[in-house]
Amino acid sequence: MKHFTSMEDKLGLDKFTAFEKSHLKIKPGSDPLVVERKLFICPAKVYELNDKGEPIVSFENCLECGTCRVAAPDEVDWMYPQGGYGVTFKFG
Amino acid sequence: MADEKFDAIVVGGGPAGLSAAYVMAKAGMQVIVVERGEYCGAKNVFGGIFFTNVMRELIPDFLKDAPIERNITKRRFAFLSSDGEFGGDFKFDRFNKDFANNSFTVLRAKFDKWFSEKVEAAGAMIITGAVVDDFILKDGKIAGVKARMDDGELYGDVVVLADGVNSLLAKKLGFHKELSPDSTIVGVKEILSLPEEKIRDRFGLNGNEGVAYEYFGYAAKGAIGSGFVYTNKDTISVGVGATIKSLLEHKLNPNDVLEHFKNHPAIRPLVRDSEQKEYSAHLIPDGGFKKFSKLYGDNVMVAGDAAGFVNATLFHEGTNLAMETGKLAGETAVEAFKKKDYSSESLSLYHTRLKNSFSLRDMKQFKNSSETLDKNPQLFDKYPDMIGDLIAELFTVDGEAKWPKERRLAMKLLTSENPFRLLKTAIDMRRVII
Repeated sequence: MKHFTSMEDKLGLDKFTAFEKSHLKIKPGSDPLVVERKLFICPAKVYELNDKGEPIVSFENCLECGTCRVAAPDEVDWMYPQGGYGVTFKFG
Repeated sequence: MADEKFDAIVVGGGPAGLSAAYVMAKAGMQVIVVERGEYCGAKNVFGGIFFTNVMRELIPDFLKDAPIERNITKRRFAFLSSDGEFGGDFKFDRFNKDFANNSFTVLRAKFDKWFSEKVEAAGAMIITGAVVDDFILKDGKIAGVKARMDDGELYGDVVVLADGVNSLLAKKLGFHKELSPDSTIVGVKEILSLPEEKIRDRFGLNGNEGVAYEYFGYAAKGAIGSGFVYTNKDTISVGVGATIKSLLEHKLNPNDVLEHFKNHPAIRPLVRDSEQKEYSAHLIPDGGFKKFSKLYGDNVMVAGDAAGFVNATLFHEGTNLAMETGKLAGETAVEAFKKKDYSSESLSLYHTRLKNSFSLRDMKQFKNSSETLDKNPQLFDKYPDMIGDLIAELFTVDGEAKWPKERRLAMKLLTSENPFRLLKTAIDMRRVII
């Protein structure tokens, strides 16, 4: 089976229209390790740590499910993206 | 938009919101639906089965032009072990007749868009690409909503919140506690294209018949969850869902669980030679009756996922509950419109109607299901192989006489699990399932 398995390729199947500003934030003062402890659960792997151990939030890949919000309510500041932006499902 | 005032504002263009809007517009109310996607359906995701009992009440001839994929005539419920499956299924020819079991596969991006056109034709206005963040309050009561855009204020006598599982608005009103990780399921799904002919041959189907296969046990790589394969016209929907708590405990990403599921020996042959078309994710509120939102207040009602109406047991119902609650909210708003009374007392009719409806009754019946599953993780990690091994051994023809073999296997079962726990799990499961 020649299916894509990497997240990058899978997200490439979807249509995204990124807004200029992120609708997702890690709350100031949060332990960056929340990314490894909890936010690995994001179905789009939006949250990663860079080489310096700082969280990177690739909001433009967000599938808008809300999993991060429920998994880490104290660390994630979540809202819907600007109307008309974000992911657009063709099948759904 | 600032000067306009509507009789009703509906937040969210999914099955709940559109049903409410349809009922209100048909009764002559001035209705506006506010949808954050590019079109209704653009942000909407579900497993794949649309249960049409309520749609038939609203639009009796909807099958004439609704974008239906397939008529589900066969359902299978299987338990996955690590290398196999055991289960049961049913298929009835009577389901082949129009509406027979009210179970059709649809694709939400197409179906909700179609439904929104019916709602517009009924006289409601729909604005898309507008996300509502807040309410407008007057004298402490809801007088409208604020969309995140210039001149985004909309005024209305009543607001129907149908803004989906995350419903930040219901939370803002204090109607809704935050979703909890143990009773919230994250589902991920892929749409895979396959030629129609292949789908028919692979699943044993005639014409537009379809199947819904549900997989339990070791479907979510040991996490508390399940998987599914549904047939659409020329695509199949393949997905898994698991509780957020359980995925966190198992250190699993939902996509890795989906990859594992797709490569399971029972699933792989069903998805082979297909082409990936879309990857999506969505939350399912599985807290049921106990985690319900407050359902109404002065000038406001909550419907669908926003209120927690999903029956994630064996039945996997959601769209019909969304439509029923939306419809009842709409009917209640029409009564309130006639009386010019949108007070909490007037809108309590919504709750009265829900109590008499299958929607609330089913939610009450299964109110303990997510807690029960959370307390029985052995169903998802230990039992699948324990039971699978027994079946595989029993049906391995190896020259051992049946009676000693059966005794040996019974002893094996009783040494691998406390019989009382086994019995208790079985009793718990019966309560969860039917």
